[in-house]
Amino acid sequence: MNIIEIKDLSFSYLEDKPVLSNVNLEIKKGEWVSILGHNGSGKSTLSKLIIGLLKADKGEIVVDGLTLDEETVYEVRRKIGIVFQNPDNQFVGVTVEDDIAFGMENLCFEREEMIKRIDEYATKVNMQDYLKKEPHNLSGGQKQRVAIAGILAMNTDIIIFDEATSMLDPKGRDKIMEYIKEINNEGVTVITITHDMKEAVHSDKILILKEGEVLAFGKTNDILNDKDTLNSSNLELLLPLKLLYKIEEANINNQEIKDILWQLSLNE
Amino acid sequence: MAIKFERVNFEYISADGSSFKALKDINLEISDKGEFITLIGETGSGKSTLVQHMNALVKPSSGEVTVYGIKIYNDIKKKDRNVKLNPLRQKVGLVFQFPEYQLFEETVLKDIIFGPKNFGVKEAEAIERAKEIIKLVGLDESYLKRSPFNLSGGEKKRVSIAGILAMEPDILVLDEPTSGLDPKGRDALLELFTSIHNELDKTVIIITHDMNTVYKYASRVLVMSEGELVFDGDPLKLFTKKNLIDWNLDLPEIIQITRQLEDKLNIKINKLPRNVDELFNIVKGVL
Repeated sequence: MNIIEIKDLSFSYLEDKPVLSNVNLEIKKGEWVSILGHNGSGKSTLSKLIIGLLKADKGEIVVDGLTLDEETVYEVRRKIGIVFQNPDNQFVGVTVEDDIAFGMENLCFEREEMIKRIDEYATKVNMQDYLKKEPHNLSGGQKQRVAIAGILAMNTDIIIFDEATSMLDPKGRDKIMEYIKEINNEGVTVITITHDMKEAVHSDKILILKEGEVLAFGKTNDILNDKDTLNSSNLELLLPLKLLYKIEEANINNQEIKDILWQLSLNE
Repeated sequence: MAIKFERVNFEYISADGSSFKALKDINLEISDKGEFITLIGETGSGKSTLVQHMNALVKPSSGEVTVYGIKIYNDIKKKDRNVKLNPLRQKVGLVFQFPEYQLFEETVLKDIIFGPKNFGVKEAEAIERAKEIIKLVGLDESYLKRSPFNLSGGEKKRVSIAGILAMEPDILVLDEPTSGLDPKGRDALLELFTSIHNELDKTVIIITHDMNTVYKYASRVLVMSEGELVFDGDPLKLFTKKNLIDWNLDLPEIIQITRQLEDKLNIKINKLPRNVDELFNIVKGVL
């Protein structure tokens, strides 16, 4: 079953400069899809359209059977949580626990239930010892974990991570990737927006956006095998993949090395 | 020596009275004659605190930092009322993390000339500098008239770096300048720093978490770990050391893949490759 269907979506901020043109995308319930592209490729705009922060010029977005419009937008937002790029731009609470509670308050959860959930999800992201702390004293990675706890507590079916790791150090980044995997394993539909192919290889499917258009969409393995498309995407290729392509171009027929490089590309 | 740290300690005291040692017994020398240095280490290891000492934004709790002949120590303002630290901030230009958040003027031009004017440069000359520097950072003159708030993230970073360059510092220090940029934007900025370093013969110091940057660009790398300077030297030497894991550092991707190939193919590669072409030649040779 498709939990998100996007049909022929177009959007522009300025009249003659389309940011997205004719985007089509179907995401199944429980899938993890990466949206991969450069700065300015339209990937963050796409996420803002899906949650109704921007209004499309043309096309349709259906979330869990609901066609997104002015009337359904609030109901659609109950189904989707989003974690943004900059951890400093998403804090409203005075303490970590206030912050985790914020989303639930908007959804009118009972107080008892909220207290239970704050504890449960803070523990899940290993931030239970920081509940009374002020968010601005945390590291970037810790802030993103608090943001994730707040979203998880809202119990949405879909979570979008909009370059949620790009401002973190390597350790913080690995931790967030672990949580994303775990959340997806538990059945949440996940969309990660990134320019890092190393992150995208963990997802089930990859959508590559280039200058507002869908360059490719498919299973991660198929996308990584599609040398021509990847080369035209201007994305930074994974190093083992680059080496694999070079070996293929040089007609070196050594299956062992090819297999090794393929595994390394998939980070296995 | 342009900058010299001697037995520098720095301690933060927080509101509840507890203290935290951010720098422990740092000894370090930096020349202003064309060094390209990267400064690495975990979040909280003291990198930012270290560079803030380089232009006297903070003063050591003990020990001293000498910057262009001026000794900076804990109670300098008490002992020497006439000491002027401001000129040091022109000599050592510090670009904070997310400098784009510090843009505030109506136009890019006004933002760029703000710094030099504060250091006493006449407006007409500052404008001339701005016209030169905007090109140096890879934008054309038409940007000078634009509002800094309507630029992309990468462009904003360039404008804020232009503002520091306009002060004509001898040493340029950048705190995670490429964080949040995509690979293309990151490479373009690093090429920019390389050309500033090569053409203007300035020392560039970059704080980064990206080991690929360290390996590809730096002639010298400093490693901070829990407030201590634990390594100062050649990047290649660093990446062949065993204690990388203790300092929570990764290997550059090219070395990582080389090591994995050595392991899987059961071979030994003596000369580490610098890029994928070199690795390809090595692999071709052993197949």
